[in-house]
Amino acid sequence: MLKPYRNILFLSVLLSFPLFSYSQDLDSLMNLNAFTEESDLQKILNKNVSVSTQNLTTRETPGILSVVTSEEIQNSGARDLTDVLRLIPGFDVAQDNQFVMGLSVRGNWANEGKVLVLIDGQPMNELLYQTVAMGNRFPVDGIERIEIIRGPGSAIYGGSAEYGVINIITKAADSLNGVAVTGTGGFHANAVGRTNGTIMAAQKFEKAAWDLTVFQGNGIVSDGKYQDLYQEQDVQNLAKKTEADPTTVNLGVRVGNLHFRTMFDNFSTSDPTTFTKTKGYFGDLSYNLKLSEKVTLTPELRYFYQRPWQIVPRTEENQDDAFKARAVRLQGQLSGTYTISRKVSMVFGGLYFHDRGTDELGIGLFGDDQKIDLENYAFFAQGLFKHRLANATVGFRYEKNNRYGAAFVPRLALTKKIENFHFKLLYSQAFRAPSIQNINLALNGKVKPERSDVVEVELGYQFTPEMLLSVNVFSITTKNVLIYHLDNSVNPFVEWYENDRKSGTQGVEVVYSIRKKGWYATATYSFNQAISSNTVATYTVPGHDNQYVGMPVHKATINANFYITPKLSIAPSFIFATARYAYNHTAIGDEDIDGDGEPDAVASLGKLDPYVLANAFLNYRDALPGLTVGVGAYDIFNARPAIPQAYNGDYAPIPGRSREYVVKLSYQLNFKKK
Amino acid sequence: MKTRIYSLLLFLVCGVTTAHAQTTNYQVYALFVINIAKYSAWPTQSGDLHVTVLGKSKTYDELMKHEGKNVNGHILKVTQVDNAADIGQPEIIYLADGKSSALDDVLRATQGKAVMIISEREGLFKKGAGFSFVVMDNSTLRFDINNTELEKRQIKVSKNLTALANTMM
Repeated sequence: MLKPYRNILFLSVLLSFPLFSYSQDLDSLMNLNAFTEESDLQKILNKNVSVSTQNLTTRETPGILSVVTSEEIQNSGARDLTDVLRLIPGFDVAQDNQFVMGLSVRGNWANEGKVLVLIDGQPMNELLYQTVAMGNRFPVDGIERIEIIRGPGSAIYGGSAEYGVINIITKAADSLNGVAVTGTGGFHANAVGRTNGTIMAAQKFEKAAWDLTVFQGNGIVSDGKYQDLYQEQDVQNLAKKTEADPTTVNLGVRVGNLHFRTMFDNFSTSDPTTFTKTKGYFGDLSYNLKLSEKVTLTPELRYFYQRPWQIVPRTEENQDDAFKARAVRLQGQLSGTYTISRKVSMVFGGLYFHDRGTDELGIGLFGDDQKIDLENYAFFAQGLFKHRLANATVGFRYEKNNRYGAAFVPRLALTKKIENFHFKLLYSQAFRAPSIQNINLALNGKVKPERSDVVEVELGYQFTPEMLLSVNVFSITTKNVLIYHLDNSVNPFVEWYENDRKSGTQGVEVVYSIRKKGWYATATYSFNQAISSNTVATYTVPGHDNQYVGMPVHKATINANFYITPKLSIAPSFIFATARYAYNHTAIGDEDIDGDGEPDAVASLGKLDPYVLANAFLNYRDALPGLTVGVGAYDIFNARPAIPQAYNGDYAPIPGRSREYVVKLSYQLNFKKK
Repeated sequence: MKTRIYSLLLFLVCGVTTAHAQTTNYQVYALFVINIAKYSAWPTQSGDLHVTVLGKSKTYDELMKHEGKNVNGHILKVTQVDNAADIGQPEIIYLADGKSSALDDVLRATQGKAVMIISEREGLFKKGAGFSFVVMDNSTLRFDINNTELEKRQIKVSKNLTALANTMM
């Protein structure tokens, strides 16, 4: 792998002499690069990103993209994936029910089916609601690279990628050829925040490879004091009343062109009254069949077995499951690539899956049958046409489900890097496929897929080889918004999903990256505002029509790293967000809900102040051969920004964690190359 | 807010003309031109090796650094013109990207003459240029050859050179 770079380096040195030999050996001409030597920043930017599916670089991929490297993750001392994603423009974290945390994207609540999270190509969204719980969950120290599409990806990735795609590539599956062990400890003044450990092992041979990641952790959701919204309970010390305990086993095997991956994932979290457990297994078997130099076909079989959102009361008198349902998916897929010429290529595919939800408590969750079956098939294709003026991408996805009908989404993109400048003009339709529970709890038994129209324009300019500024504007309009409703005024409570008319945001994102020999920094700014025609009441902030519940309008971040010596580095980072509005108190309303003749208290919106999160991490590589030691502090100023619910779900904001001192140890032993 | 966004975008676009980053390496383009000349033979070549750059290209600046040097026993002379009418009769015409549309004029002006046309823009070998450059997916620079056109002009190209072509017709 290094040899071509050595050749290029040698030739670059040769070319730098004023009297270089023009009677150069003809063969060596063939290795000369048409562009000037890459800087460290350009080496990152010019790497093809796998999330693009068509071998395009960051600056030419038809999507607004952020790439986070393992070097950046390790230097920053990120405690979990949330710490990494909060530094991405437009990304933030908010609360779903039961203190489960999820992502918001560009000012929109996105946890339920709107952001697809992939680990080594495998989707992590659970099948009942299509959510992905964040927090102390994924093994952040085992990540090689994260590719984030800050925009729709439905045309290729389907009905869970309406607002974004997060593609995580693990070290074990990618670069590791040896054994690595990492440990993380997080300590608040009066509580242990987390203790996580990861073991990774991988061996790569010419025609075979295997990799294994085992991650186990214990943590808390917060160490703050929590008063429930309706003040029905005493103030709770969350350090003693919450958990965030992850377990992940990720195994991959490759023999020739045959690939197998299986994963076990178990995440148990809790609020003061309820445990929420999400457990799942999956297996994936695929074969890359190279029919010719131009055509590759990949048949793939996937099996998912999950028990998401298992609810268990944490009272001593009652620990019976309150919600326990199984979701199983069997999926067959055939995808392919056809390289028609150097300038024209396409990816295409078709898939079928069958989902079954089963009520494991037999309480009529899915009606008398105690189960629900969905059948789904989809076709997609995307063509890439490279022209000297622009790369044109044209694609579509057609999906049909036996319960909610059909969805068709097109995608059009023009991208090009011209010397220092690049541009992206993107138009996508995207959709969110109703999940098992969306369909099961549909009002009047009918629900439609959400549909989004997204327009994005990005301009980027590289002022020097070490720095890049990119600016993008976007407009997201989502129709048939799938909204959860809950009526507590009847006993037992009634919940349902129905399509609301419209929601969405518009905004701008700015990313400035600089990478010098001894330091690097990335500064971002994101602005998003709610569309004026929003109709979703549970997202609305009266008097502040430009923002949704739980979402800041402005966010700015700085993530820097300075190498004091080649081994020792210090990484400060800052996250600033403007005021958010959250359901954080109650007020006497107009209605008599409980029928006692008096109007009752209802959840009311209040302001959460702007905050600055300041963090710093000191990293010392090769303290002993292979051993890296890091110490740092998160939230140095103890700002403790709360995590609000992104809608009116009867939960007060989770109090923010206090300053957390983090210690990280990692040791890597590489196998000798044979 | 919109005004601020537009101002920023305008600033970005206007900045295009003033900066330096990873850009096209015209030194390599010039190196290719010289080596193509070195491994080619003209029927009536005597004295200097004339290269005329038609249009604005930094390849001209790079070629100028080698003017006066000996290429296969011929002294390299480099000139630059802006109009096809002024090209004269050099051994090589280097057609800058911005002058690609002048290819037909150049072909008419040099029809049947031993003039090698090298185009900076990809694909013009199909339209009559003898060589056209192509940037591969791995960013290396290569060339395509229209050997039929070169033979019509009685220009012989070494097999060592044609063997390295990305495409030859």
